[in-house]
Amino acid sequence: MIASVVATLAEVGDAFQAIVDEFADVPGVEIGDVGNDARRVPITIDSPAPNALEEVTRRLLECRGVAFVDVVFVHFEDEPESQAAANPGEMDKS
Amino acid sequence: MNGDLQPAAEAIQRRQFIKASAMAAATAVAGGTNFTLPVLADEPAAGVQWEKAPCRFCGTGCHVQVGVQEGKVVAVAGDRNAEVNKGLLCVKGYHVGAALYGKDRLTKPLLRDGDRYREISWEEAIKTIADRIEAAPERFAFYGSGQWTIPEGYAAQKFMKGGLSNNHIDPNARLCMASAVTGFLATYGVDEPAGCYDDLDECDVLIMWGNNPAEMHPVLFSRVIDRRSRREKITLIDISTRRTRTTEACQHYLEMKGHGDLAIANGIAHLLIKNGTYDRRFVESFCNFKASDDENPNLHGKAISFDDYRKSLEPYTPEYVEELSGVPADQIRMLGDLFGNPKLKITSLWCMGMNQHTRGTAINSMVHGVHLLSGHFGTPGNAPTSLTGQPSACGTVREVGTLAHALPGGRVVANAEHRQQAEDFWNVPTGRINAVPGHHTVKMWESFCTPTDQGGDIGTIWVQVTNPGQTLPNLNKLFNPKGDNKAGLEDKFLIVSDVYPTATTRLADLILPSAMWVEKNGVVGNSERRTQQWFKMVDPPGAARDDCWQTIAVAHELFNRGMAGMKDRDGQFLFDVKDENDKSVPVWDWEHYYDVNVDEHLFEEYRQFSRLKHKDLAPYSEYVKARGLRWPVVEIDGQWQETHFRFSEGFDPYVEPGKEIQFYHSSTHDDRAQIWFHPWIAPAEVPDDDYPFMLCTGRVLEHWHSGSMTRRIPELSRAMPGGYLEIHAADAAAHDLRNGDKVTIESRRGSLVIPVWIDGRGQPPRGTVFIPFFDETLLVNDLTLDALDPFSKQPDYKKSAVRIRKV
Repeated sequence: MIASVVATLAEVGDAFQAIVDEFADVPGVEIGDVGNDARRVPITIDSPAPNALEEVTRRLLECRGVAFVDVVFVHFEDEPESQAAANPGEMDKS
Repeated sequence: MNGDLQPAAEAIQRRQFIKASAMAAATAVAGGTNFTLPVLADEPAAGVQWEKAPCRFCGTGCHVQVGVQEGKVVAVAGDRNAEVNKGLLCVKGYHVGAALYGKDRLTKPLLRDGDRYREISWEEAIKTIADRIEAAPERFAFYGSGQWTIPEGYAAQKFMKGGLSNNHIDPNARLCMASAVTGFLATYGVDEPAGCYDDLDECDVLIMWGNNPAEMHPVLFSRVIDRRSRREKITLIDISTRRTRTTEACQHYLEMKGHGDLAIANGIAHLLIKNGTYDRRFVESFCNFKASDDENPNLHGKAISFDDYRKSLEPYTPEYVEELSGVPADQIRMLGDLFGNPKLKITSLWCMGMNQHTRGTAINSMVHGVHLLSGHFGTPGNAPTSLTGQPSACGTVREVGTLAHALPGGRVVANAEHRQQAEDFWNVPTGRINAVPGHHTVKMWESFCTPTDQGGDIGTIWVQVTNPGQTLPNLNKLFNPKGDNKAGLEDKFLIVSDVYPTATTRLADLILPSAMWVEKNGVVGNSERRTQQWFKMVDPPGAARDDCWQTIAVAHELFNRGMAGMKDRDGQFLFDVKDENDKSVPVWDWEHYYDVNVDEHLFEEYRQFSRLKHKDLAPYSEYVKARGLRWPVVEIDGQWQETHFRFSEGFDPYVEPGKEIQFYHSSTHDDRAQIWFHPWIAPAEVPDDDYPFMLCTGRVLEHWHSGSMTRRIPELSRAMPGGYLEIHAADAAAHDLRNGDKVTIESRRGSLVIPVWIDGRGQPPRGTVFIPFFDETLLVNDLTLDALDPFSKQPDYKKSAVRIRKV
């Protein structure tokens, strides 16, 4: 799974770099160049885990100052076939 | 590099390239550079071909770039060239490609044989449907969808009304936005929003009326949040019956009781008049006043004076509104002050909260009325705007008119002139179109589920692209009647075209496997009047085929049998399609269906209708080039130009110079909109001693509607695996409930055993519970009430009285 997201920050003031450092601690994440716009942070996610995107997105959302996480790109070609489907009728509802 | 290592090295190189492309896309979106997709096509080794398509899911109309390799969708990216989403996607959008590849795709036609199904050929399937129709064409009904593409819906519409002289065609959109339609018609005389998404970039105040865009239209909500993060001042107000993710981002949360919106709208209007802050010039120039005609109930009511209107509003003081709605009087005054400030630009958004409402037409009209009364209309940022839940609820249902009373282009079957126009466009004999409206959705299904000898006059329904076995209200009444169960229904026959097994296919006698999304050509229309086109990119699995082909194939089978309705005035097949040499192409034969672009042929025929009500569409070829265009699209100096804001001079090409604002389809024929008074009325069912809770149903971020596609996507299923009951912590404590405990929830119509979630995704107030409807194993619509709005015929899924007990 390779994907990229953009994290939109609320007004974070001087805490910006600390928040970006917090993002970088998330496994599988790489932070892009934020340029002159310190509100939106480009991030790639590269992980063999098929559920990496949802997990990383959730962790990013939990980081302080994060208002929204939008997905920009996802490449799911490498996912095993068996992961590409689930029969709702067979799901455990407990 | 030896032969063993080379593939691994190439794989690493390719992975690095994909990752670089992913970062480039994100950097471009984050920083506003000029980067554009397609990205991987620049690298021959990648072998991925990129094409544009609108997302398959909601009505926002985000564009995606779809990466195809070796006949399979392998990647999806937000389309930076798309004005709607500017490169962004939501959690559903980025998984849209995976929706094609669930392991239980339907791939063969299946005919019920006792308790089992047997595979049959398409030829047998088509003949079976034709047999049913030929035997009793007047007892046949077509149940479609806001997920029908425009050509699919148009073909079904023409087949039914122009072919079978049968108006029993209605869509699932009846269940989600019919009240928005009647609200627009009652106010402006014509359907669909005047504003567009640009209003979200311009408004100072955004009011969400019973709306949760943070989960249901997340890319639009993200657009608003982005403004705030840029330190733009924007006030967000959430008027709702429960706290949601939207609430978390709002400065003001106004928690109301069900139907409290009726009182709130009246309270705002009351204050605008009392304080003298309504826009007198706007009202005197562009508006009339209306009220219900109780002696002769109809959509257009009766005229009243401004003084009548003022007197009707007198009781709705902030304190009385607080009593009715539960919203504190101070917050009502805040709304009154905001609407009374002409310097502010105010946009209202709504969706199911106002539409799934037994006074849906009324509340839609009243919110338009508040904007008109205050003059917050007709300039960027000042707009009352309804959102839709399906990708073509507007394009296919509202514009093509796949409703039981309608014809394409805002025409209606009850009007002789309208019928004649359609008959001329379709080149069918005068009198072919039946003047009597068909059954609306709830009536259609009630009739189908009623024995013929008890008045059930629908014998066969063909369902395409929707899942009524899960989404109709009061399901038990329809499909699990008490007493002698299904006696007397043996002659009924249900046909379902779908891509996956669903709650509806389980009820079906004949199941047809359909192509979906980029497995076929398509054109759709989103919430902001934007028409969007895409081309087929991959083949459907097995014997799955386009819904439009299925309709045309049945029509041709009937034509072959000599059914007069399948012929036009010249004796030609109703769906005759000619190639560039003016030679008929046998498009009813699947092998030849893609010899020509059937979508383009149908779209160009349909486009004639679009000019009848100033909803002009451009030629098909213009949509191929664009990421959608908002109608009316008119040709000026050789360029096809879209319209951002309707009825407003300088934006709308049909507003006459000097008019400023012109409601040119006014129901009073004086270019004026109607400001309505409607009284507050209690919901159809309210909690009592026996059923002390109010049940609200709805959607969640991860799943789209009935979940038939998104529950096949493992990431989304893991994120939100099953249905649940949201309950307030104090109510949970009173019932000795902890997270994960199961309860039996009962209404007067059914019951369900379901786990509870306390302080979870949403937080309902005391006395209210919430259940999402995406889970086909927990059918919440066994419980819901089937009370309807009197004009839109839309059910209220938001207010059913229930009781709970711990299991």
